[in-house]
Amino acid sequence: MTTIDPEEKKETVPFYPDHIRIEFYVVIGILVLVLVAGVLGMLSPVGLEAPADPLNTPLHVKPEWYFLGLYQVLKLVPPTILGINGPMFAVVVILLAVVALILWPFLDTKQDSKKAMRLRWIFCIAAILIMVALTIWGEVS
Amino acid sequence: MNNHARRNLILGVAITLVSAILLVTFGLHARAMTTDSKASQVAWSAASSANQVNPTLEVPPPKQEPCLSCHIFGEDKSLWTPVGRWLIFGTFGLLMVFGIYRSASVWKTHAPWKPLQARMADWLESRYAYRKPLGEVLNKPVHTWAQRWWYCLGGITAFLFVVQAITGILLAFYYKPTAAEAYSSIQYIETQVRFGAAIRMIHHWAANGMIVMCIAHMLRVFIMGAYRKPRELNWMSGAFLLLLTLVFGFTGYLLPWDQRAFWATTVGTDIAGSVPAVGNLVLVFLRVGWDVSEATLGRFYGLHIIITPLLTVTFMLAHFIMIRRLGVQKPL
Repeated sequence: MTTIDPEEKKETVPFYPDHIRIEFYVVIGILVLVLVAGVLGMLSPVGLEAPADPLNTPLHVKPEWYFLGLYQVLKLVPPTILGINGPMFAVVVILLAVVALILWPFLDTKQDSKKAMRLRWIFCIAAILIMVALTIWGEVS
Repeated sequence: MNNHARRNLILGVAITLVSAILLVTFGLHARAMTTDSKASQVAWSAASSANQVNPTLEVPPPKQEPCLSCHIFGEDKSLWTPVGRWLIFGTFGLLMVFGIYRSASVWKTHAPWKPLQARMADWLESRYAYRKPLGEVLNKPVHTWAQRWWYCLGGITAFLFVVQAITGILLAFYYKPTAAEAYSSIQYIETQVRFGAAIRMIHHWAANGMIVMCIAHMLRVFIMGAYRKPRELNWMSGAFLLLLTLVFGFTGYLLPWDQRAFWATTVGTDIAGSVPAVGNLVLVFLRVGWDVSEATLGRFYGLHIIITPLLTVTFMLAHFIMIRRLGVQKPL
């Protein structure tokens, strides 16, 4: 347990009921959205495309939207990079990025600073913008 | 008799009287309804005695109620369905018994009535001594700065997981993971099952919402630098939870077994197969063979409803315990 000195204690509220109340309001808000989704579902269901047919490949095959950006990257890489298979190279890079994401706390061990935080802000905004752009590109192409 | 006891006595008697009156009224009404419906029924005892006289006469068995929901909710019997009867008689019956007991107790002991929840709490406390540990959990101080809106993104993800678990179980009641029936079972869910279309829509949108919230939560933690020592394992368990959420999305996408599902899975597993060295192994593991087939559907179904949820719950518990232990990181 983290110890809290008495000076800091003044800036706290008890978990129950103060903090639970906030969580409760959030849950109610989500439930309202869930209810709206349910009503929309009754009005116009999610629906289905034609049944799966292994012999009939559709013209445009797209993954779910959250994979669409990465899928677009794989479509855009040239067939060969540095003499090796391009898509394979891209897949390896993406896998390494995932490993880096998992191990990130051990890669960035420096004392945190305002400047580092600003850099992370810029990095995140850039990453979001690039992914959104790639996703939209993948959606319209 | 003091004031308190008198008030309790009056309350008890009032509850008893009201429930008795309602019980009798509803009971008479119900009796009228059931005798009406009995009049139209065939007398089966007469039919079977006729059968003994003439054994060649084919007597059909008494008609069974084939539909459970009809049995529970009734067919054009207005309020007087089995569930309605049990609910109303059960509630008022229990209230009446409780009222009698309460009145008698207050009358006899002349002591104020101790509420039932207090009795239950004391009963549990004397056995499990739960108050102190529970109090520690509930009274843990939360910093006021930890109440800003961006700290609730992870909580929303967890709540959406609960929504997914509930709607997923409801869908699994009707879904059939076979190539022949998967598609039609989804059609059945959307057209025949009560609220089926709503449940499917909720499952669909909560899945998307869970991924958005998961990523938003991770960006928040990343930007605020809350992954640093001592919270490395919090971050790692969270990263695994994000991957598991994506596995949920990937495996769930195949289950409708329509063209989009089939070909998205074909392409997705192809990409997994292009990983050097282990690619073919991964491909064969995912597809259960070289092509997407019914076996793939079964595998994805198992991954989607058993393996991934178990792993997710495990990682979530670890994630929560570690957060509880370390508290929310103080912002820079």
